[in-house]
Amino acid sequence: MSTDTQPIRVWDLPTRIFHWSLVASFLIAFLTAESEKLRDIHVAAGYTLAGLIAFRLLWGFVGGGYSRFAEFLPTPRKLIDYIKSLIKGRPQHHVGHNPAGAVAIFLLLGFGIIAAASGWATYEDIGGHFMEELHEGASNGMMAIVVIHIAGVIVSSWLHQENLVLAMITGWKKIRNSAHENPAG
Amino acid sequence: MRRTLAIAALLFAATVHAETPRDFLTRFEKEAGSTASAERGARFFTTKQGGEWSCSSCHTERPMQAGRHAKTDKPINPLAPAANAERFTDAAKVDKWFRRNCNDTLNRTCSAQEKADVMAWLLAQK
Repeated sequence: MSTDTQPIRVWDLPTRIFHWSLVASFLIAFLTAESEKLRDIHVAAGYTLAGLIAFRLLWGFVGGGYSRFAEFLPTPRKLIDYIKSLIKGRPQHHVGHNPAGAVAIFLLLGFGIIAAASGWATYEDIGGHFMEELHEGASNGMMAIVVIHIAGVIVSSWLHQENLVLAMITGWKKIRNSAHENPAG
Repeated sequence: MRRTLAIAALLFAATVHAETPRDFLTRFEKEAGSTASAERGARFFTTKQGGEWSCSSCHTERPMQAGRHAKTDKPINPLAPAANAERFTDAAKVDKWFRRNCNDTLNRTCSAQEKADVMAWLLAQK
């Protein structure tokens, strides 16, 4: 067994800490959204989320291997090829983010920026009702992407027989040598 | 793309038709099946109803005045329509804030009767 699989370092520590911190801050912000009593917790979670996204944007340029935006920037070509491979039932295997996952990540970062900025504006009484609606729309958009992301992780883990959740905890993936079609990194 | 457009459309589809504060009194009375009492509304508004806050914790006991958020200390515009023409003109907003604020003060939703009473009291403020 050990001869045809090799462990490979995919997610560096800052990326993993970012990922799970974003999970926590978004979850806390989402759950405290409706309560005025918990408003300070909601705002703190939102600012934390904004800071985390700022870090991730920076890390996308200066971070390591699979964390760089250049490594998984989803072009229409890559996305179409990937979706075709799904339809054919022979999904391309990517060591890092697959093109569909990459789209989800950029949407998540985009919605996160809008949610944090409009949340700050609402809290500071700037922009009125429009900002409030934008804040709720962007936050619900984030939640929609999160749900799709989790579904994608489950399906992809099953299709490729790899534990993607564990990989985001430990940083390691076991890669079959024969499936080494993604040389980037 | 279609998702983005749908979300954008939803964002801009904020309720266009406007209600008046009286419409809400009428609606809540109809839902409750009985007439409102401003006196009951005043009592409900200014005393704790099981939670650690009352309505007046933020909106003060005199809703013609500006209030102050009990947690964040941020100013809150007056709640009485006579002092603030923007209040109770949008059903989506009214339902949203009754849902949130009732949960904060009562740990449950408000009944139609309670909302009717509060409306009657707020409309009586001059």
